[in-house]
Amino acid sequence: MALRSLNLPGVGTKYEFETDKGDTVAIFFTKAGTIQMYTLQKGCHTPSAAEMTPVEARRLGNILTGAIIEADQESVEIAFSALADLRVTIHSYIIPRAIAGKTIEDLGIRAKTGTTVIAVSRNDKNIINPPPSFVFETGDAVLVIGESDQLRLFEREIMVD
Amino acid sequence: MDGILAAQGLIIALFVCLVLALVTKYLSIPAIPFYIIAGVVLGKAGLGLVASDPISSFFSELGLIFLLFFVGLGLKIDKISENQREVLASGIIDLNVNMLIGFVAAYLLGFSLIEALIVAAAFYSSSTALAVTSLIENRKLMMREAGTIIWLMVFEDLVLIVILALLSAGNENLLLFAVEILAGLGIMYVLAHYGKEFLVSLLERDDELPILFTFVSVLATAGAALFLGIPDTLMVIALGAAIATTDPDAFEQHARPFKDVFLVIFFVFFGVTINLSGNVSMGVMAIICLLAVASKLISGVLTGIALYGSAASGIEIWTNTIARGEFSIALAALYGSPPVAVTIAVMVIVTSLVGSFAAKYSGVFTHGFGGGNRHRGPPRRVRAGH
Repeated sequence: MALRSLNLPGVGTKYEFETDKGDTVAIFFTKAGTIQMYTLQKGCHTPSAAEMTPVEARRLGNILTGAIIEADQESVEIAFSALADLRVTIHSYIIPRAIAGKTIEDLGIRAKTGTTVIAVSRNDKNIINPPPSFVFETGDAVLVIGESDQLRLFEREIMVD
Repeated sequence: MDGILAAQGLIIALFVCLVLALVTKYLSIPAIPFYIIAGVVLGKAGLGLVASDPISSFFSELGLIFLLFFVGLGLKIDKISENQREVLASGIIDLNVNMLIGFVAAYLLGFSLIEALIVAAAFYSSSTALAVTSLIENRKLMMREAGTIIWLMVFEDLVLIVILALLSAGNENLLLFAVEILAGLGIMYVLAHYGKEFLVSLLERDDELPILFTFVSVLATAGAALFLGIPDTLMVIALGAAIATTDPDAFEQHARPFKDVFLVIFFVFFGVTINLSGNVSMGVMAIICLLAVASKLISGVLTGIALYGSAASGIEIWTNTIARGEFSIALAALYGSPPVAVTIAVMVIVTSLVGSFAAKYSGVFTHGFGGGNRHRGPPRRVRAGH
């Protein structure tokens, strides 16, 4: 797979790569802000195209990286190829009634799962890096960071508590 | 608030343009021809509701200046050298075919030598904005011809700068003129080079400074050029080219609102000031329009054959470059006599509409022409193989 990027004056940036099976995928970030994705099947002459907004493109990106997306819960996996393929995932969860009223420390999130709560969104207000004494309320949306295995542990150990 | 009252005409014209912009974007057809038509209808050739005054002509000039500033920002001469052969081949075919046909036709139809030259230049330059929009809207960016078309537009812009320089030199001593322009360009490059860090840090701020700086630097450059007696058009392009070496994207972002609004004023007031009583017959205009479509077909097909050995590729190039637009109008506004301005206006209106439909339905053309050849080839080979 060879990825090529190209700057097109007046249009934007083009990324194109050919898959091992000979299909071609081209992505254009236009100056107008939209993203166009073209796919061309091997041996075919006319590509098919889809135009996306940046939000839609990021969603597609999340799907392609293998993250699961549910209605209120989505995750992003970030791979740092320069750091020995370090992969971290950030996942959002909605706090259920069962663990409302408990603090991060009470639940022992770090000790039990190795994950860290990095942000909480409550009533449209965001709390970044909540302290261990932070008390959860029902309906809080939390962002949890960790490896995908650790996040699975978080779902099993903490969310069903 | 007397100023607002004095600018009534401008407000009416802009309001009409806003409605036209909404409708044309909804129908995804080019807006430029409709701005000009609106100007003609509202202006002295039509209802006489709107007249040109110092306020509107100042805004129109700003539109032109920002358009040229964008041309400068988009100049990426270093990138051209990467695919030199292709850019040069398509650029030279396009230049020769269209300039020649445009010039000979205009001269034979009774324009004077210098008028014919301006008509030819307007006839030659396809609209970069319309070509790019058409490629994006019709989802054609992945075609190999798309790259050719995009670089062809860059080449046309370069030629246009040379034409502007030649026209604005007029009767001046060419050598002295060239020295003045190069000195101006040199000063701006030096400023951009040594002030780069300052400029970049300025543009990163999120207060009013970046946008104020962009606006003032463009205006001050034009003002200083006029004060020194060098053409402001060229100096603004030079400013864009020099600034493009720092952070062109940021400048584009900050200058875009000015360009967008003032350019609409420029188009509509170009229409307002058009004088239909100029003695150009309908026949002459019809011939110019027909030739404008046909000559891009010739240059397109020649380019397609030269680069890809395919007439169908040429048709694809043709459909996306039929539309003339902003640069043709700019030439008409700067140097056109009334009959030249009318002719160019009609040519822009016709070609931009024809071009927009041709680009949308280019599949029909390519199937009719070269597509047939492509289909005839492979089946025979398949049969031979079995």
